[in-house]
Amino acid sequence: MTQVDVKQKVLAANMEAAARLREGFARSRTLVVNLISSPGSGKTTFLERTVADLKGRFRLGGIEGDIATERDADRLRRHGIPARQILTGGSCHLDARQVRQALEDEKGALSALDVLFIENVGNLICPTSYDLGEDFKVVLLSVTEGEDKPFKYPAIFSKAPVAVLTKIDLLPHVDFDLPAVREQIRTLNPGGVLLETSAKTGAGMAGWYALLESGLVRKRS
Amino acid sequence: MHETGVAAEIYAVSRRTADAHAGGRLSSVRVLVGELSAIEPDLLAFAWEAITSGGPDAGARLDVEWRAARQTCAACGTVAERAPGSWLKLCPRCGGVLRIEGGDELDVRDVTFEDAGDAEAAR
Repeated sequence: MTQVDVKQKVLAANMEAAARLREGFARSRTLVVNLISSPGSGKTTFLERTVADLKGRFRLGGIEGDIATERDADRLRRHGIPARQILTGGSCHLDARQVRQALEDEKGALSALDVLFIENVGNLICPTSYDLGEDFKVVLLSVTEGEDKPFKYPAIFSKAPVAVLTKIDLLPHVDFDLPAVREQIRTLNPGGVLLETSAKTGAGMAGWYALLESGLVRKRS
Repeated sequence: MHETGVAAEIYAVSRRTADAHAGGRLSSVRVLVGELSAIEPDLLAFAWEAITSGGPDAGARLDVEWRAARQTCAACGTVAERAPGSWLKLCPRCGGVLRIEGGDELDVRDVTFEDAGDAEAAR
C-alpha cells in the first residue's frame, strides 16, 4: 500500500483553461463579467436594459448559458449585439472549456469587445465553483425571492464582489425585508458592492454602469 | 448538482496519481471540502460511489475532510466562534467588521493505492 501526497485543486483543469481565457481577454482588453443567480431573478432583463443603454458607447457581447433553448441569446441579438448560446444539456453551470468553444465558434465576433457578459445557468450553487476567466462575478437576487437567500447560499454571496438586487420596483408589493438582506450581504462580503436596481424603471442602473466603466478603465490601463 | 462532475475529476486525478507510481487498485482518496466550496459532502460521496462502482477501483473509499470558513475581526484580530452554518454580523469582542477567510478548499489531499505486488501477495 502506498500513500502519495497530491495537494491538487480538484478543478485544476478548469482553472488552467480559465487562466488561458483570462490571458486572451487581457490582450483584447475585454472586461468580462460572469452573472450568477437563481432562475427567474431577471438576469436577462437586466442585461437587455444594460445593452440598450450602453451599446452606443461600448462594443458589447454576450454568452448565454442555459440547459435548453436559444431564447436568451435571441433576446440579446435583438438589441443588435453578438451573442452565443451555450446549451449545457442538463449541466447546471458553465465551465471554461465551454466558454473557449463558444468564442471559437463565433470566429472573432466575441473577441474584439469592450465588455463581454457571460450569463451563467440559473443556479446559485454550481456556477460558484467554476472560474470562466472573468474579471468579476456578479450575483443577482430579485426582491420576489426569499430574503434568507444570502445566508442559504453563502458561497456565492461571499465570493462575488458585486451583488445586484433586481426588480426593486416591486418592493411595495412584496414582503421583502430589505434591511435584513443588506445586512446578510454585508456580513458575507464586507468589502463588496451592493446595487439596488430595477431594469424596468432604470433605478440604480447608473451605479452599475459606473462600475462597468471603472472596470474597463482598469482593464485598459 | 455538480458533484458528479467534481467526483469524476477527483477520480481522474487519483487514478493518474496511482498510475504515475505504477500503482494498482485505489484504496482511499482524501479530499478537503470547504464550507464555501459549494459542494455537499453527502452528494459527493454518492457521486463517488456511482463513478467508481463496477470499475477497476470499485470499493475505493472517499474520505472527506470538512473545512469551515473563519470569521476574523479586521480590527482586533479575534477569530469569532460560531455555530456551523450561521454567521456573526459583527465581532463579539469589539463590534468590528468580520472578514470571512478560508472555507473555499476543494482539494485532493492524498491518494492511497495498492502496490503492483499487493494483489498477487493477497492470493
